[in-house]
Amino acid sequence: MVRSTSLAVGLGVLGIVFIVIAALYAVGVLQILTSTTSGPHYKHAVLFAVLAVASFVAASFARSRTA
Amino acid sequence: MGLLQGASELFPVSSLGHAVLVPSLLHWTFKQSDPSFLPFLVLLHLGTATALLVLYRGQWVAIISGFFTAAIRGQMKTDSERLAMLLLVGTIPAAVLGVFLESRIKSLFASPYVAAGFLVVNGLLMLGFEVVRRRHEKGGSRVEQESQFANAERISFRAAALVGACQALAFLPGISRSGVTIGGGLLAGLRHQEAARFSFLLATPVILGAGLVELPELFKSGVPVLEYVAAAVLSGIAAYASARFLLRYFRSGRLDPYGWYCIGAGLAGLALLHFGLW
Repeated sequence: MVRSTSLAVGLGVLGIVFIVIAALYAVGVLQILTSTTSGPHYKHAVLFAVLAVASFVAASFARSRTA
Repeated sequence: MGLLQGASELFPVSSLGHAVLVPSLLHWTFKQSDPSFLPFLVLLHLGTATALLVLYRGQWVAIISGFFTAAIRGQMKTDSERLAMLLLVGTIPAAVLGVFLESRIKSLFASPYVAAGFLVVNGLLMLGFEVVRRRHEKGGSRVEQESQFANAERISFRAAALVGACQALAFLPGISRSGVTIGGGLLAGLRHQEAARFSFLLATPVILGAGLVELPELFKSGVPVLEYVAAAVLSGIAAYASARFLLRYFRSGRLDPYGWYCIGAGLAGLALLHFGLW
């Protein structure tokens, strides 16, 4: 795993973006790439929540080690 | 349907293919457009996922614990921690493809003819996986041959992502999720039994997650909850027995019999449907 502070920060920011997208799908504001055009989309919300978790995990792995 | 789904979900023979083909051949009158059909499928899948959770309960405790430990530490030190991260990496492609493509693909291919055709393709894939695998095996007994290959924890992250993505092929009715993931595991250098274990572990969060997301459908009116729960219990029992059998079988067994079965069942299904013999 490549370790760098900037990469870790980038992945952390990406995780926050995914959380926002998950929230927007969960409350039904976001309707992009969905089969219906109204209402909440919980599958999409869960997917982006998982992507957010993955991003934060990757950010944790990318942190620079300090002695 | 509960027994059929539970058994065929884990055997490399395509549960979706059988769920499309068998009711059609037996003239079972399932209306997939009925509002209660989705909750029915949801419960069957939850039964299967529960069976897998029970079967691997000790491993899941270690995997979940390992996940948090490794995520916070930013480093993997144990096999459980590595397996947790491999499962995360393997689950993401399947989840992305599942959310965005599953309903579109299923609606395009939900026909008994297509299911029978893809069942033949699934059989050819199983045989193909074994042909490639045999090229990498050296002589000796089956146990010795298997011992040359690795445990699930040793698979590379790239291979885990590819095996996870292969699960998306199972949206095609007739292509088996467990079949393609076990086959992918074999190509990645896992022992048969370990490829099956990795496949079952990989399937659990996807099946469970998809089921839980749809759970609110159960509380809508008109759903015969008790009958559905009974079917889910049967599905779980069948899945548990199937998984135990397969893990024992794959100590020395291969995918070949399932490949031939799929080819035979697919061709027989095509013939019966085409000639109206059933």
